[in-house]
Amino acid sequence: MRNLTFKQISSGIVALILLILFPLVFQKPFPQHVMILVFMFGMMAVAWNIMGGYAGMFSFGQVAFFGIGAYTSSFLLITYHINPWLGLVVGGLIAALVAAAIGYPCSNLRGHYFAIASIAFGEIVRTHFNNWKLVGAAEGMTLPMLEESFENFMFHSSKLPYYYIMLAFLIISLVVCYIVATSKMGYYFRAIKESHDVAKVLGINVVWYRLIAIMISAFLTAMAGTFYAQYVLYLDPESVLILPISIQIVLISMLGGAGSIMGPVIGAAILMPVSEITRVMLGHKGTGIDMIIYGALITLISVYQPKGVWGLFSNIGKRAK
Amino acid sequence: MTDQLVQQIVNGLLIGFIYSLIAIGLTLIWGVMNIVNFAHGDFLMLGMFTSFWLYTLYGVDPLFSIPVCTALLFVLGLLIYRYIVSKVMKGPMLAQLVVTFGISIFLANLAVFLWTPDFRLIEKPLLHGTWDIGSIKLSVPKFVATIGSFIISLFVFLFLKKTKTGKAILATEMDREAALLMGINTEWINSLSFAIGSALVGIAGAFLSTYYYIYPQVGGSFGLIAFCVVALGGFGSIEGAFIAGIIVGLAQTLGGFFIDPAYKYAIVFLIYLITVWIRPQGLLGW
Amino acid sequence: MSRKEDKMETKKLRIIVFSLLLVLFLSVSVHSQPKVIKIGAIYPLTGNLATTGLDCKRGVEMAVDIINGKYDLSLPLAKTEGLPNLGGAKIEIIFADSKGDPKNGMAEAERLVTQENVVAVIGAYQSAVTKTASQATERLKIPYVCSDSTSPTLTERGFKYFFRAECTDTIFAKNQFEFIEDIKKKTKSKIETVALLYENTEWGANVGKEEQKYAKEFKYKIVADIPYSQNATDVSSEAGVLIKNKPDVLLHASYITDAILYTKTFKELGFSPKGFLTMAGYLEPGYLGTVKADGNYMVVRSTFALDLAKRKPLVAQVNDLYKKKYGMEMSGNAARSFTAPFVVAEAINRAKSTEAEAVTKALMGTNIPGDQIINPWKGIKFDPNTHQNIYATGILVQIQGEQYHTVWPFNMASKDIIWPFPGWKK
Repeated sequence: MRNLTFKQISSGIVALILLILFPLVFQKPFPQHVMILVFMFGMMAVAWNIMGGYAGMFSFGQVAFFGIGAYTSSFLLITYHINPWLGLVVGGLIAALVAAAIGYPCSNLRGHYFAIASIAFGEIVRTHFNNWKLVGAAEGMTLPMLEESFENFMFHSSKLPYYYIMLAFLIISLVVCYIVATSKMGYYFRAIKESHDVAKVLGINVVWYRLIAIMISAFLTAMAGTFYAQYVLYLDPESVLILPISIQIVLISMLGGAGSIMGPVIGAAILMPVSEITRVMLGHKGTGIDMIIYGALITLISVYQPKGVWGLFSNIGKRAK
Repeated sequence: MTDQLVQQIVNGLLIGFIYSLIAIGLTLIWGVMNIVNFAHGDFLMLGMFTSFWLYTLYGVDPLFSIPVCTALLFVLGLLIYRYIVSKVMKGPMLAQLVVTFGISIFLANLAVFLWTPDFRLIEKPLLHGTWDIGSIKLSVPKFVATIGSFIISLFVFLFLKKTKTGKAILATEMDREAALLMGINTEWINSLSFAIGSALVGIAGAFLSTYYYIYPQVGGSFGLIAFCVVALGGFGSIEGAFIAGIIVGLAQTLGGFFIDPAYKYAIVFLIYLITVWIRPQGLLGW
Repeated sequence: MSRKEDKMETKKLRIIVFSLLLVLFLSVSVHSQPKVIKIGAIYPLTGNLATTGLDCKRGVEMAVDIINGKYDLSLPLAKTEGLPNLGGAKIEIIFADSKGDPKNGMAEAERLVTQENVVAVIGAYQSAVTKTASQATERLKIPYVCSDSTSPTLTERGFKYFFRAECTDTIFAKNQFEFIEDIKKKTKSKIETVALLYENTEWGANVGKEEQKYAKEFKYKIVADIPYSQNATDVSSEAGVLIKNKPDVLLHASYITDAILYTKTFKELGFSPKGFLTMAGYLEPGYLGTVKADGNYMVVRSTFALDLAKRKPLVAQVNDLYKKKYGMEMSGNAARSFTAPFVVAEAINRAKSTEAEAVTKALMGTNIPGDQIINPWKGIKFDPNTHQNIYATGILVQIQGEQYHTVWPFNMASKDIIWPFPGWKK
């Protein structure tokens, strides 16, 4: 593991141990659920970061891949009884293919144009699934309650297996991100982010590397989708293909610190508990206060800490040297 | 059949002109400071509520509340720029994208808090009803909104092209550094543009309130379409936004009527994608 | 970095770490409460369906007031304070906001049971949310009584702990066609074609499917089948398609936002079929409150109407209480949600226990007679296999003079139906 300081490795291990112990200490389903959301959105934010924070493509359409992953594995399970783990891989591959198919014509798009195109893409996918009878159209699909087992990717008596599986997924995505970021590919991504023209002059195949970034991002996001389906056991376009999910992914990455590996995870670790807690404590009044706080928080962080919370850590870390 | 076609074209134009007006304010802000104002739809909502409360509490017809909406949203835009957005201008692009998003959530839910999520409607604006022109039905409030939108757009266009301040805004849009070198106070231009953009959408809100229902989340649907319109027309291009608004209105209505209403927004998005694949900078963008 | 900036950064970091810990702590704290019986209620209290959720909340709160207080009403547990078989223990409702999201339904159901220690859950209006929430309670083996979600699939899952008091969309869809048959005979008019217009999410799409089924069964031609996106900015195209195809009757399943927009657009473009058979959104107080006289002559499916008071004074008595508390008439939504707390409390009382198995067993034996509910049913009794209320039936109300009047079944009508639609008033 090149380029990692002893400090980084040891704090990583400590964090990992704490996370492993967490559900054993806090045994109620709600805190476990909150952490599962942190991991799930954290993973999607890390995936977004690969194409957004590193390669400069700010996608507001990630939910499409999330939905494709969820729908693919669920459809295969319900209709052909195909194992959800296999479905997970298939879902990821299909998402990556779709990503390439949409990414290619969008290769020339920069900045805001790309962002809007990604929104358009997400909405088209949602409309399509909403009217596609094969996958239940607007009524969605309900997963059968199978016997609980790792093989079936379904657990009923406890959230613990879901917790650890999602944590493992998150770690996988972080490893992928780390490999990408510290490899030559990561260097190419950053060059593309800085300037397409400069990158081309340097001999980088901009189109090809953009596609790779999008495909990796899509695959990982789709994995999270399959997890969601196996976790909630019900999906419809309104729950797995809507724009607010895409936006939340971007917010989390930005809040945590785009362009850094751990940034998105920190963002998820802050934003998910905040939104869950404010909903629980204030949502039931129906006055909207929980969302007022959420909106204010996002605004304040953007203004006072635009590099994200991770920026705080890295600055302090630098000082320590 | 031709009757239906004409009717749908009329409907498409009516909604299209409103999209244009909303989009013009957005593209101005976008073009000048490269900020996607995600709160634009919520400014629209505030414009609608202003008009509604003036009507309900003081009996002011929405047409006459336009000056108030303009002034109120102008000031709001100015304040939000001064105290929030300007601080992010030097930051990373992502922070700029996100800050207006935070403002959007804040404003929409503040509206819920202040006015409850209930739906409101202005029942009898001064100009109401439907005109029957042959077999075509023309909604009077929508028609008035269309005329108003056209006039305001023309006004904005002339302002930008003919007045000194307007030209300064255009110059800043085209090349910020050059504008600075020419002695233009770009920071002041930023504030002004943000304020004008907000005021414009406030006016759109006043027009919209004459026939659409008013509630805190109304900004969402119009806002999303507005982004599409602006991008389609080309960021920063006022003419582009104007034309694109009409195209989107027609696409939505005709596509919905002749192809499938369930896909009408998908059609709009598809048109956007196809346009930018061919011309990455939008129709009239640079 | 300067010393001052360092301090600022560390301070920010401390604030964040502290807030995170606080937030984590809060998520785990168990609330200790005085001795009450807690029931969890999940509704969309914020978000797009907030007005509906708040309406349902009012119905639930009204029910709890009556149960906990002493009222001379022919409702279960009204005449005593609290539950007599449990020493007068009172009911406390813990509300949770689903925001209309199924995963929140699941999380809130779990939280309500494991942290708030509710003994039963009610809600959640949206069938998709009820689906996941009741899946959670089924796993946790806690009873769930739903009186406001209408998707038929909810009672087709073979669940042991889930009970539904309300009608299903299957029944409602069938009602619409039974009505058309009846009105044909009554007015001796020709009705051959229908148009289906429905919002395209889980609920509306299911209604559309049921309506397609019954249209075929009752032999009506569907001249237009239009699913549409909620919260549209403009519905001219949909209206255009309807005008072009000239259906005799329009069947419209919508939430409140679209109901308002469609009514306005239909008036603007002059769409006048022989009649409008509508659902859900048209029943909300916000609908008439917004469209006023333009809502007249709409026929809406319901399981409650204020004029049922003519046969059942209980309805008027409850409405009076409701009006006193909230300053408005009781709506169809509030009336639906009003039922569940009674079903739960009555079962708990009969079981003389809050223990899940005992309550569930009691629910299996629930048999509340028709004169003890405000709904126009023979009573509440659950089918032993599906746990669907076998007596749940629908009625149709029509808006006349900006008020809802029962018009069908004809033998229950309080006013004559005005049919066909007399056209839009300028």
